[in-house]
Amino acid sequence: MHGYGQYILKRLGQFVLVVFVGISITFFVTHLTPIDPVETTISAAAAFGSTSPEAIAMLRETLRELYGTEGNVIQQYVTFWGRILQGDFGPSLSAFPTPVSELIARALPWTIGLLVTATIIAWVLGNILGGLAGYYRSNVLLKMSGVLAMGLHPIPYYIVAFVLLILFAYVWPIFPLSGGYRMNLAPRWDATFILSVLYHSILPALSLILVGLGSWFMGMRALVSNIVTEDYVQYAELGGVNRRRILSRYVMRNALVPQMTGLAMSLGAIFNGAIITEEVFGYPGIGSLLVDAVHAGDYSLVLGITTISIVSVAAAVLIIDLAYPLLDPRVKVA
Amino acid sequence: MTHLLEVDKVGKTYAMGGILGSHRVRAVENVSFALEAGRPEIFTVIGESGSGKSTLARMILASVPPSDGAIRFEGQDVAAIKSRRDRLAFMKRVQPIFQNPFEAFNPLKKVDRYLFMTARRFNGVSRRDEVERQADEALRKVGLSLAEVKGRFPHELSGGQLQRIAIARALIPGPALIVADEPVSMVDASLRTSIVNLFMTLRDDLGVSIIYITHDLATAYYISDRIIIMQKGEVVEAGDARTVLADPQHPYSRELKAAVLSPDAAITGSALAETDAATLEPT
Repeated sequence: MHGYGQYILKRLGQFVLVVFVGISITFFVTHLTPIDPVETTISAAAAFGSTSPEAIAMLRETLRELYGTEGNVIQQYVTFWGRILQGDFGPSLSAFPTPVSELIARALPWTIGLLVTATIIAWVLGNILGGLAGYYRSNVLLKMSGVLAMGLHPIPYYIVAFVLLILFAYVWPIFPLSGGYRMNLAPRWDATFILSVLYHSILPALSLILVGLGSWFMGMRALVSNIVTEDYVQYAELGGVNRRRILSRYVMRNALVPQMTGLAMSLGAIFNGAIITEEVFGYPGIGSLLVDAVHAGDYSLVLGITTISIVSVAAAVLIIDLAYPLLDPRVKVA
Repeated sequence: MTHLLEVDKVGKTYAMGGILGSHRVRAVENVSFALEAGRPEIFTVIGESGSGKSTLARMILASVPPSDGAIRFEGQDVAAIKSRRDRLAFMKRVQPIFQNPFEAFNPLKKVDRYLFMTARRFNGVSRRDEVERQADEALRKVGLSLAEVKGRFPHELSGGQLQRIAIARALIPGPALIVADEPVSMVDASLRTSIVNLFMTLRDDLGVSIIYITHDLATAYYISDRIIIMQKGEVVEAGDARTVLADPQHPYSRELKAAVLSPDAAITGSALAETDAATLEPT
């Protein structure tokens, strides 16, 4: 296992480098925007009647200190890393003085709950249906589901989302238009609240599954139809190994290796998907938080969210890289 | 005399196309031949790709049912093999070898597992040492040993090694017939002769009949006892291998020979036979 140990170290090094570069780029990009949160706050304060220039200068000084934006960009960059390493993203500038980490912690469970669940459901369903469709190629029902998946796949996600919303929340209003739970409920671990959360998540989850399913379905079907013609499958069929066992052990097992990579990548990238989903369905997750933060020029919050997103994508890739040699003996570790 | 294998006026028609209209393709048409029991031979089916030779192999292996005619193995119609038990009994007597050694084994499983599973399934042995002994014995027949193969994944072995392991696997149940569908076309030239030599040893020492499917005239000429030449699903010429290949009658056979063999074919052919027999005996 000496080779594997070295491999882990190398991959960990890459992980750290990717995270460092990613976060640094985000830091400089956000600080290059013309929006200055200090000036935004001052103009909001100054809009209420006349304020003397001295008072404004004092206010500016105080805000700079509070927001941690004094000094030039390089000094800010150093303080920023010092705080990040302690897991502190600083106070949010738009919801001052609530810490960014608290805002994220509040929004994160919504995003993870909705998107991770929907992604996994789409992956499992797509792979099972795709595997069956690739293996039992003459089955009419599976052929039709293939046509449906292919027809649905090229439609842009937000169109599907809006169509679902119009059909099932407006024309035939059986689902809520927006929100994560019923307005007058307080978040609590009881049946009413949980049911309300599930009820509100059905439409957004359905939109994600409908769109996500197609690509898993087509990928798996293509992989399976390739593997079925391989000689070891033919041999197993000749040897009277029962078809269900062939499908699960010989065919699906081999096709799942590349599909696992895909799953890890999409799980890592759920924050990108979160933006559109949460905006369309008015869902209280990370995506909505990010959009609000950008509008408010709250770069502490933007940086916090982006950092989480960079770390999770890099971690997903890292986990897959570490797991791959265990899944597929052909992947050389050295 | 009883037949080991009897292919009786066999034909296969595939329906091609989808919902918007289909047409029928005749892959094999009216093919007949028979192998005698107790007289092992190498029976070669030669033809270009699309000539129906692989379809014929699949029908003999009872993986595709024929549309016309019948194939009988030791008197039993192979199309009647349905249950798992019948399949296993049939596979114990008839084993396949495939074209691509890299595809013959699941890349995620160790190759020795295949040998052990074959011994367990077909020979009903369950004791670990006996299973390993049978695997080792079969591997030694193809010039390998269990020590060289144990614990290795397919990607850790060469194509020639894998093809020999595939042959060893086919030998474990002690079959009477091996159907080898282009077994050397994916193996490099230097190994080709050692594998076809191996077939001759199997015929002579183990009494296994081999149906050798190929498009390679040189190896066919070298190892075959009898031969049939197929074109577009039909047999255009059949008979003793030396006679047919030395003096082909059908225009297609002549064309085939002219295309593959150089003008000094006779010399190459006999020279090949001499050198190979002398130097390439399997170890």
